[in-house]
Amino acid sequence: MSTPTTAAEAADGERRTAVIATCVVGGAGAVAALVPFVSSFAPSERAKAAGAPVEVDLSSVAPGEMKTVEWRGKPVWILHRTPEMIDEVKNTAADRLADPNSERTAYPTPPYAKNTLRSIKPEYFIAVGICTHLGCSPVGPKAPNTDPALGPDAGFLCPCHGSTFDLAGRVFKNKPAPDNLEVPPHKYLSDAVVLIGDDSKA
Amino acid sequence: MKRTITAVALGLFATGVLAASAGAPLDRWPDRSKDLAALQNGARIFANYCLGCHSANLMRWNRLNEIGLDDKQIKDFLIFGPQKVGDTMTIAMNPKDAKAWFGKTPPDLSVIARARTSFEYAGADYLYTLLRGYYRDATSPTGWNNVVYPYIGMPHILWELQGPREVTIERTAHAVKGLVRTTTTIDAEGRATVTSIPVTGETGETMTVSFKSLAPQLARQYDSDIADLVAYLVFMTEPVRADRVRMGVWVLLYLALFTVVAWRLNAVYWKDVK
Amino acid sequence: MALHKSEYKGLLGWIDSRMPTLMSEYKKHMSEYYAPKNFDFWYFFGSFALVVLVIQIVTGIFLVMHYKPDARFAFESVEYIMRDVPGGWFIRYMHSTGASFFFIVVYLHMFRGLLYGSYRKPRELVWIFGCLIFLCLMGEAFFGYLLPWGQMSYWGAQVIVNLFSAIPLIGPDLSVWIRGDYVVSDATLNRFFAFHVIAIPLVLLGLVVAHILALHDVGSNNPDGIEIKDRKGPDGKPLDGIPFHPYYTVHDIFGLAIFLMVFFAVVFLAPEMGGYFLEWNNFIPADPLVTPPHIAPVWYFTPFYSILRATTSDFMWVLAAGTAAYAALIYFALPRGRWRYATLAATLVVLVLMLPKSPLALDPKFWGVVLMGVSVLIFFALPWIDQSPVKSMRYRPGWHFWLLIGFVVDFLVLGYLGTQPPAPTLTYIAQLGTLLYFAFFFLMPWWSRAGECKPMPERVTFAAH
Repeated sequence: MSTPTTAAEAADGERRTAVIATCVVGGAGAVAALVPFVSSFAPSERAKAAGAPVEVDLSSVAPGEMKTVEWRGKPVWILHRTPEMIDEVKNTAADRLADPNSERTAYPTPPYAKNTLRSIKPEYFIAVGICTHLGCSPVGPKAPNTDPALGPDAGFLCPCHGSTFDLAGRVFKNKPAPDNLEVPPHKYLSDAVVLIGDDSKA
Repeated sequence: MKRTITAVALGLFATGVLAASAGAPLDRWPDRSKDLAALQNGARIFANYCLGCHSANLMRWNRLNEIGLDDKQIKDFLIFGPQKVGDTMTIAMNPKDAKAWFGKTPPDLSVIARARTSFEYAGADYLYTLLRGYYRDATSPTGWNNVVYPYIGMPHILWELQGPREVTIERTAHAVKGLVRTTTTIDAEGRATVTSIPVTGETGETMTVSFKSLAPQLARQYDSDIADLVAYLVFMTEPVRADRVRMGVWVLLYLALFTVVAWRLNAVYWKDVK
Repeated sequence: MALHKSEYKGLLGWIDSRMPTLMSEYKKHMSEYYAPKNFDFWYFFGSFALVVLVIQIVTGIFLVMHYKPDARFAFESVEYIMRDVPGGWFIRYMHSTGASFFFIVVYLHMFRGLLYGSYRKPRELVWIFGCLIFLCLMGEAFFGYLLPWGQMSYWGAQVIVNLFSAIPLIGPDLSVWIRGDYVVSDATLNRFFAFHVIAIPLVLLGLVVAHILALHDVGSNNPDGIEIKDRKGPDGKPLDGIPFHPYYTVHDIFGLAIFLMVFFAVVFLAPEMGGYFLEWNNFIPADPLVTPPHIAPVWYFTPFYSILRATTSDFMWVLAAGTAAYAALIYFALPRGRWRYATLAATLVVLVLMLPKSPLALDPKFWGVVLMGVSVLIFFALPWIDQSPVKSMRYRPGWHFWLLIGFVVDFLVLGYLGTQPPAPTLTYIAQLGTLLYFAFFFLMPWWSRAGECKPMPERVTFAAH
């Protein structure tokens, strides 16, 4: 910017400086004033409390049985797998599954569930009971040869559009659902109690 | 703000639910709102003694993090039911049952410190004096009476913490023939001795109250505990108060800066105007 | 296809060639609106009122995201906003402080009008729109106050709606119709919510636009009360005028900075304002079975409430005497003929309805409502009852200014009395205050013409700074 040569240019320069200073200082204040309004959209304490982790007592789930609890408005399944059910999972050929190693990222599988059985303890399978296609709740667990849609496989069948999942929630190929069932964050507080919704180390 | 409540001679106040005019002069609550230890002690007393009958449905347990308690301490020492630390301080008692048993549903205490404030006194002073203003009274249905709220429906829940006391209430009031001073002394068992003398040379209705504790050490500790409890009630009525005052100072400093900038902006343009 | 040729470049030019209104209106109302250069402190309050209106609308929108207009949940939803919604306490305090500040600003804005004769010809319509805004504002505040559903909310609404039951014949049914129930209840809460959030804000916005457009059409008044358009320069612009933008935009930004300091000092450091901005009793949930010992309206209604309460049956005699005296004054001021007879007839009818011993007497309760109504509506009449040859107090006889100050003091005293519980001495003072209040207005046609006005200047009084 050239140095002002006339009084008028000097005045303009003065005005410009003053306007810029006001905009900078005022702008900072305006942004700060926006913060409470924008943050008022975030989940309130009530929403956070309602979404708090859920403790589940595993001793009430007999082998072969499945318990459903609610977390953040979603059904979460706790399936107590028998040794036969665990074998079923291990014997399912990888080429029949869409994502046998749980590598897809749409519903990222937590590191502690990135194994064949998709769980921390082999005998307890914990998953969100919502089909990854369009959100219906699949039916199951079904034993082998009890349902024509599943055939010789054990697992879950979604009644809406026919997607099928094995007893580790892995989706079979050529079905409408693209992803394995979501495994929610969870951790064991003891051998008989699991906390769903929280997997912090603390 | 006037702390003394007297039934003013001009009859300016109607006696009402809060018994402001029939009640005793209020003591000043010692402000412990910045003392975390006091607030925690107050929370402890609140959870142990008040939360059975009174709810605090608008206050979440985990808000107590702000007075220095972590979730584990809250869960272990303060929550006695199946509630989670994110839940509100609800109670199991059905309000309709409470009304049938006590005559009146014990009010929710979430905003009690503000609700009991008036133009004449702070809610904290009211609560501090009320909770320390009980005396034995054989004529009352609960066996207890209160100098701040006569014939209050709540008995003296914390009587064991305060210990036995005697009270002397001196009331000067208009009778048929001029002013009469009635002195009532009630001992620790609730037996009253009353004397009345006519008074000349005064015009106003007044009331003074003095307590004599039979266990002074206990009573002093009780006063401190009640100060802590009221500090907690004041916190609970507006948990964000300390933060908002702190933020306010910064906001005003910023606005002062902005005012200077805006003043210069104005000056720069207006010097052209002749 | 003919596009308007635009003097602007770029995006602005594209818009301007298709919607020339944008820039032509900008010029008309901002960069080429010539306002008097001698605006003083009193001229800030119009723009402050606009800012507060925006604050109330924005904070109101965010509050409605969390508030529940249901009698079971309303009270706790307000505390939910205060405690559980991030930043909710700040939004709530801004809204409650804004409500009180709206009235402070509007009263000061109206005072400016009285001070400088801003309501005089040709600005009567600006004043009328302003009075309508004031009425809407009072309604908006009244409806909004029920929403927190505290004890004061409930009983204040109960008392005010019951005022309508004072109207002869239709009163009680009208009150039920307004409430939607036999007492203030959930039905009332929901409809007051609709009025407060949508109906009145829309009307308010329309009136504010009309107020400003009407002003800009005739041009602003100024502290000297002289019309700057009477003296134009060779360019056709008023000699004493300066473009609103940038001169008054930067001037208003400076004023706003100070205003916001005061506003946020209250929001952060004293939002309850000792119980006047947020009333203590309103922290008790509404209880239809328990009336608080001391119901008073919020501070901004108290002057008018004082006048309502002052109207006791004893006072009716004084009012009747005053009405008769005033009727006599008008009678002799009028020329002979039918207007005189009309005045006599009307006065007779009113006295028959007023005098306590009369068989057709209406309750003092009704007359109290009438007086309160007139005390607000009388402001509409100012352009016609002020008949001074001079607009601004600066050039009026000195005692006119002191009369105005007296009126302000009276207004403040009435306001203070309205916050106090009723008492005999205080009622006498309120009654005197009521008489002085009405005397100020009803005698204005006479006193405004009395006295020796000072000589008016040719040009506005302005010192360069």
